Amino acid sequence: MESPGFEDVEVGDTGPELVTEPLTRTDFVKYAGASGDFNPMHHDETYAQKAGRPSVFGHGMYTAGICSKAVANWVGISNMRSFRARFVSQVWPDDVLTVRQTVAEKTKTDDGNVVELDISVENQNGEIVMTAKSRVALPSRA
Amino acid sequence: MASDNVADLVGERGDREIWKVEEGKVREFANALGFDDPRCTDLEAARAAGLEGLLAPPTFATASTFWMRGAPPLRKAQFDRKRVLHGEQEFVYHRPLVSGMVLEGTPEIVDVKQKEGKRGGMMTFVTTEILWCERESGEPVVSTLSTILETAPAK
Repeated sequence: MESPGFEDVEVGDTGPELVTEPLTRTDFVKYAGASGDFNPMHHDETYAQKAGRPSVFGHGMYTAGICSKAVANWVGISNMRSFRARFVSQVWPDDVLTVRQTVAEKTKTDDGNVVELDISVENQNGEIVMTAKSRVALPSRA
Repeated sequence: MASDNVADLVGERGDREIWKVEEGKVREFANALGFDDPRCTDLEAARAAGLEGLLAPPTFATASTFWMRGAPPLRKAQFDRKRVLHGEQEFVYHRPLVSGMVLEGTPEIVDVKQKEGKRGGMMTFVTTEILWCERESGEPVVSTLSTILETAPAK
């Protein structure tokens, strides 16, 4: 996968947006199986409603995974040096998530050409459900 | 309720864990999140890209924590389960994580913070790090830093 070069991006630039399909319970169950996280709050409707929730809701790490996919789609997994997600709010079935990423900082270090990305994940109501940061090393075209 | 001497937990370690990164698990994880990168799901594509196995998605390492056998050191914080939240999750990548790797790591509490909640009462944040290294070479592959918090008790 082609990544942008260090010279191709400037502070304030935005990367490609990622917009999900409406999320389904099946999405959460697939993630439960893949990750091994079987907290019933994410797959057992009866349990979730007894706990006072309207329905099951997504794993925070499911949202983090979608968020990381947006970064990976832009710069490539192997260029990522770090990824940090902060859980802000829950994600529900039928939610549509939009991941946005912005170049916050650009530095040449001993570690290479490092770009810091600020990332947000928003639902269809414009509410932020996750913020994240990722440090990525981009190849130099020079 | 967090134990009174929760700050003393920094440096507290769990058991050393061995984690074999399975090809089917990497593919299943990538599919569950809809990764398009063929290096995550197609062994031929991964090999053509110079990798020895399927490339794990960036958040894959967190899944290892659900298969660990030992008790997490966080248990010593004695959090009230009803008030526990996952606050933050960080990954630091040292080299590509690919299937076939055999890693070892030991969970360790690296940070504890307490602060006043918005409605009064103490919130406690505990960060546990696992530095996963290749078992044979000892080379670092990925660090996971998980911050779990206990919200202030309801009044």
